[in-house]
Amino acid sequence: MITIVSIVIACVAIAVSVYLAVKDFQAKAVLEKREKDVSRRMYELAILKELGDRIGYSLNVQQIIDIITNSLHQFIEYSAVSYMLLEPEKVIFKMHLENSVHRRFVNDVRDRMLGSLGALLDREFDKKNVEEILSGAIIIEELEEPVRSFFNIPLVIDEKVVGVLTVADTKEGLYKEEEMTILYKIIQQASKAVTSLQGVVKTEQEKVNAMVESMEDGVVMTDADYRILVINPAAKRVIGQEKKPEITIFDFIDNLGGKMDVRGRLEESVKLKKTYVSERFEMRGKFYQSFVFPVKTTASLNAGEVLGGVVIFHDVTREVELERVRDDFTSMIVHELRTPLSGIQKASELLKLPPKKVKVGTKQYIDIIYQNSSSMLDLVNDILDAAKLQAGKFEISSEPADIKEVLENRFSFFNISSTDKKIRLIVSASENVPKDVPFDIQRIKQVLNNLISNALKFTAQGGTITVSAFLHESGVSVAKEVTKASLTLPEPFPEEQFSTLPKSVVVIVADTGMGISAQNIPLLFSKFKQIDNKTVVPNIKGTGLGLAIARGIIGEHGGIVDVVSKVDVGSAFYFTLPITKSESVTS
Amino acid sequence: MIMKNVLVVDDDMTFVAAIKATLDPNEYTVQSAGNGLEALESLKELKPDLILLDIMMPKMDGIEFLKEMNKQYGEGKTPVLITSNVSSLEKIGEGIALGIRGYFVKSNESLQGIAGIIAGVFEKQK
Repeated sequence: MITIVSIVIACVAIAVSVYLAVKDFQAKAVLEKREKDVSRRMYELAILKELGDRIGYSLNVQQIIDIITNSLHQFIEYSAVSYMLLEPEKVIFKMHLENSVHRRFVNDVRDRMLGSLGALLDREFDKKNVEEILSGAIIIEELEEPVRSFFNIPLVIDEKVVGVLTVADTKEGLYKEEEMTILYKIIQQASKAVTSLQGVVKTEQEKVNAMVESMEDGVVMTDADYRILVINPAAKRVIGQEKKPEITIFDFIDNLGGKMDVRGRLEESVKLKKTYVSERFEMRGKFYQSFVFPVKTTASLNAGEVLGGVVIFHDVTREVELERVRDDFTSMIVHELRTPLSGIQKASELLKLPPKKVKVGTKQYIDIIYQNSSSMLDLVNDILDAAKLQAGKFEISSEPADIKEVLENRFSFFNISSTDKKIRLIVSASENVPKDVPFDIQRIKQVLNNLISNALKFTAQGGTITVSAFLHESGVSVAKEVTKASLTLPEPFPEEQFSTLPKSVVVIVADTGMGISAQNIPLLFSKFKQIDNKTVVPNIKGTGLGLAIARGIIGEHGGIVDVVSKVDVGSAFYFTLPITKSESVTS
Repeated sequence: MIMKNVLVVDDDMTFVAAIKATLDPNEYTVQSAGNGLEALESLKELKPDLILLDIMMPKMDGIEFLKEMNKQYGEGKTPVLITSNVSSLEKIGEGIALGIRGYFVKSNESLQGIAGIIAGVFEKQK
């Protein structure tokens, strides 16, 4: 009985101890698991921290993947960890061996990785383009262990697959969900960090790109092998290849021809760090000056190292045009000065002959000398005025005067020549024009001389020139005022121009001449751009300075000068003299 | 002595008058035209032996006149001297390309000098 009891007790004791042992074992397992979890998390945190630190200075994906693979063995078991990275012209395959393996193992992993990279990107990769780097344990041909465990993780940055990371082992069934999840997490974290950092860089780069893109100068940057890295639309325009998507240095060599040795200059820049500034050259109707510089890195590690070269095509077309205008102007002035001078010279030469040889009367030669010297004097005065205007040193002295008197005075001055040319000259002024408008009498006479003599030049026999003045009240429709003054114009005055004017006297010199076409009107008042004489103003020569000076004089008075014109009907040049005080009219 | 017919194409009346006064009326008949168009119209009638041609003229300038004359009468048939106050090589180069005999800048030559140049052209023709 006792035995039975003791057996039972023993059984119970055993059961209890077994139970306890089992329970303890279970608790241990839980603990161990927890410990493992903690260490895994610690590892995860450590690697993420390390990544974070390093990524802080690097955007180099390969470097980051190296950091990951170098620390992975603390956590996952593998014979080899490897990665493949996509480069523009090759695939980098780097494998680190923890244990020695057979060469076939390496090849197998490589082929599998290349296969999955191909599947991910939906394209074929040639084994020939794979650049292999092996590190760690050595290859031992006797170890005929195949790949038994294998796991691939795609490397994704900014939603683009850039490569794959793989762990592989000769042992079977190694990689379970748990390990893989954490590996995914690590890779994901790294990729996120790189993506966001790249985003920042991209934004900055876009700013720079936008700037380069919108530059008027052509910019081309090449690497040390003269491959084009950056090119803006202006640079494509230089060689007339706006539409071509991929531009190479050969496009520049072909299109620049002998104008600039782009390749040679880049070579000098890259190899000798030389800067080059070209002479001006013409390309497709435009003028350029080009600059070639070496591009040096400023990164502290390898500062000064030449990364490539930059070619800038600076558009100097405007400068060249300005120079041409200036040259034309100079030769025009020279011509205009030489003509009267040679007249004076020739007339005086004839006067020097013995009296009996002088065929025509002496007076005629003296007249020629007088006329020529007067026209030269006018020209010199015009040039001086134009120079003063340009320098902003043109001054007027205004005092209240009667504009009607000035108009009548000009009438008597021009009446003889207009009668000679059989052109009717009429002067009229409205009653309401005040007698004490402030202006510079001499300067306004000069303006009137210019406008009336121009009108005389452009009006044919039998035509009429009307010089008139009326009062413009601020805010009143000018069309009504014109009607009230019973004036006829070839075209109506622009209302919007007059609507902004203060109370002013408007003086008009209207002719029944040939008129001026709309596209030529803007050229009239510019100093250098005289209208092409042959097409627009036949019969007429001159410096073209007169109207520019008139605009300057009226501008100093605070008024405006303009013209309304209709081809074959006539032109009406007008200027305004403000009555109400404006900035430029003092006293 | 055969009279030589000189046509002065110039809008500068002083120059025309000076040439007329300078050239010996026993040797030369001097006629004038105020621009290229006028000169072109009078070519048939005047049949000049020499043309003194200004460059900058209204209506039709000297270069255009040369082109037209060459087109109508053939290049180099009538000797042409460009007489201008423009000393732009471009214009003179254009004239040379169009077969002119020579050029001088009006203000750089005395009337006697010009008479000498004109006589020289006829001298060479002999």
